[in-house]
Amino acid sequence: MSCVKPVDAAILADYWLAALDQSEEEAVEEHLFACDECGARLREVISLAEGIRNLARQGSLLMVVSEAFLTRVAEEGLRVREYSPRTGGSVACTVTAEDDLLIAHLAADLSGAKRVDLCFCDAGGSERLRLTDIPFDSRAGSVVFQQPITYAKAAPSETLIARLVTLDESGVERLLGEYTFNHTRTLPGPGAW
Amino acid sequence: MEIELSDSDLVIQIRMGNDRAAEAELFRRMAPRIRLYGLRHLRDECAAEDLVQQVLITTLEALRAGRLRESDKLASFVLGTCRMTVLDLRRNTQRRERLLEQFGADMLAPTQSPLPQLDQEQLALCVQKLKERERAVVVMSFYDEQTGADLARFLGVSEANVRVIRHRAIHQLRECMGVAA
Repeated sequence: MSCVKPVDAAILADYWLAALDQSEEEAVEEHLFACDECGARLREVISLAEGIRNLARQGSLLMVVSEAFLTRVAEEGLRVREYSPRTGGSVACTVTAEDDLLIAHLAADLSGAKRVDLCFCDAGGSERLRLTDIPFDSRAGSVVFQQPITYAKAAPSETLIARLVTLDESGVERLLGEYTFNHTRTLPGPGAW
Repeated sequence: MEIELSDSDLVIQIRMGNDRAAEAELFRRMAPRIRLYGLRHLRDECAAEDLVQQVLITTLEALRAGRLRESDKLASFVLGTCRMTVLDLRRNTQRRERLLEQFGADMLAPTQSPLPQLDQEQLALCVQKLKERERAVVVMSFYDEQTGADLARFLGVSEANVRVIRHRAIHQLRECMGVAA
C-alpha cells in the first residue's frame, strides 16, 4: 500500500541525526512503525549517511573542514599529515602509504570577509580549480582544507599554489594569502601524470 | 491470492493461542521497524538486533497473555515497548539473558534487513558536486554528528540555515544517486 503522507528524506535525515524536537521525533517514529515505505526511505538515508562517513574516513574529499573534524579523526586513530605554510611562504611536503588524511592550515586575516574562495594554481600561477564561497569562521584566523589523500598518494612531484581570496559585494577580488606546496613523491609510481 | 492480515487480526489470532503462522507474520512485519528504531537510538547493529529480539519476545508475551486490549494499537504498543526497552537496556543488560532462557534462542531467527548498497565512487562524485557549504554540512553532520549549533558557528550562519543547507544537500545527493529526491 502506498503511503499517503510520506516523510521527506531530509526530515528522515534530521531524525537520524537526532536533530528533530521531541514532538517531531515522536510523530516520525509513530509513522515509521506503521509505514514500511518510509522505513525503506530511512534505510536509504542511513546508507547515504554511512557512505558519507566512509568517504570522510578515507580522506578522499577535497573540502574545507573544521577543527572539530580534525579532533574527531584524531580520536578515531586516523593518521593525519598536516602542513601549515606561512602566508606568502612555501613548504616541502609529501605523503606516505600510512597516512589517512592530508590537511593544510592556511593562516589569513578573515575579519570583515563576506565571501572567501580557495583557488588552486599550478607552478606557473595559473588557476586550475576554485572552491567558491567556502565556509570560514572570521575569528579563526585560518582556513583548514583537506586534499584528497588518494590523489596525493598517486601524484608525481609537483608544485601546487593555494590562494585565499575575498570578494566584495561588487565582485572585486582581494588576495588574503598565497601558499606554495612543493610536493615530493615518496611512493613508487610514474614520474609524471 | 493471499490476503494480508491486518495488525488487529494478528493480535486476535495470537491471543487465541498457538498460531505459529500469525506469530511468524508478527516477527516479519515488526522486526525491520524495530531494527530501524534500534539503529537510530543505539547506533550499533548488534545492539539493534538485540533490541529486535527483546521487543518481539516482550510483545509476544503480552499478546499471548491478552494484555493488549485494543487490537488495532499493535504498532503503538511495539513502539512503546521499544522506547521502554531502550531505557531498560541502558539500565539492565541481564534482562536479555533471562528472556532467552525463558523462550529459548531457537525462535529468534536473525531479522537482518540489510541497508541498501551504494556505489561509493558515484557517491564521492555526488558529494564533490555539492557546493562547499553543503558538502561541509553533510560530511560534518554524518561523520562527526556535529550539532546544528556547532555547524552554525563554523559556517557563520543560523541553525535554521544549517538545516536548510542540509535538506537541500540531501535532496541533491539522492537525485545524483538516482533515487527519488
